[in-house]
Amino acid sequence: MTAVWHAIVVALALFGAAFFLAGTLGLLRLPDFYTRAHAVSKCDTVGAGSILLALALYVAPQPEALKILLLLLLVLLSSPTSCHALAHAAHHTGLEPREPRAGEPS
Amino acid sequence: MRRLLTALALAIVGAVMLAGLAGLPRPGDPAAPVHTHVAAHIVAHGVEDTGSRNLVTAVLLAYRAYDTFGEVVVIFAALAAVMVVLAPAAAPPPGKTAPPPSPAPAVAPSPVVGFVIRLLAPFIAAFAALVLWHGEALPGGGFQAGVILGALLVLLSVVMGRGLEQPLVPAAAARWLQAAGPLAFAAAMLIGLAGAGAVLGLPAEPAWGRHAVLLLLELGIGLGGAAIILGLYLQMRGH
Repeated sequence: MTAVWHAIVVALALFGAAFFLAGTLGLLRLPDFYTRAHAVSKCDTVGAGSILLALALYVAPQPEALKILLLLLLVLLSSPTSCHALAHAAHHTGLEPREPRAGEPS
Repeated sequence: MRRLLTALALAIVGAVMLAGLAGLPRPGDPAAPVHTHVAAHIVAHGVEDTGSRNLVTAVLLAYRAYDTFGEVVVIFAALAAVMVVLAPAAAPPPGKTAPPPSPAPAVAPSPVVGFVIRLLAPFIAAFAALVLWHGEALPGGGFQAGVILGALLVLLSVVMGRGLEQPLVPAAAARWLQAAGPLAFAAAMLIGLAGAGAVLGLPAEPAWGRHAVLLLLELGIGLGGAAIILGLYLQMRGH
């Protein structure tokens, strides 16, 4: 039973790590502000979310799990909000999304 | 020639510094002088001397209270300097007509951000209070709590669009709160003189007196820090 439990924990943590990798790649490689913000917000929500969930499951019967779940709730609330605030401010101050160049798939 | 001299000077200075480094005790060596005199005394007598179970607080607010007093005054002076530099531009001299009010910011406040910040605000405030209260007995303290509370006040000011004309903390109260750190230290100095015969000394009697003085200092540092952060934001935001 413990083995299955730990397998779930490891799978969740790896899933989160993969999202962090993709988000970091996106931050470095994507062409403009909006696409980069989009990539990074995936790190904070799905990436950090599933890693925190894995940690909560790992310590599950103990009350620390509840604390980690609260932390998860805070991250899920605050991180998309800050990303939204950035994108909102950029859009309302006239930052245009990058147009695809000629011959580029849109 | 000059390059040679520079290289020689660097080599000599470097050799002296390396020799000095070689003479230092190993990091973490329990027999190092730094661990055998002052630190050992504080670890052995800190709780009994100050009544605080948090040795960091004991050092910060009792053994080295003068140092902390200096830090608090530095933060207060920073706000005063910002106010002096930015205030003349904000208030037109008498006789001249006020410049037309600048157009409202182009960015309309986002309802999403406003909602989430209003939702989280009570929790952030409770966290600041917890950190402040913990500082007297456990890790935490006035400086950290002040930053959390100050950030909350700035966030709320942004979301509610409160500038200098309509600050969240009324101007009359803000003036006193911004000086709360130095004022708390002044009060603690008087209490120390009266109760322990030394400036910033902790009175031995009554037993709760020492806790009260430490808590007063933490409160002054925390509330003062928060008010100063809000003041800095408001000054830089302008009218």
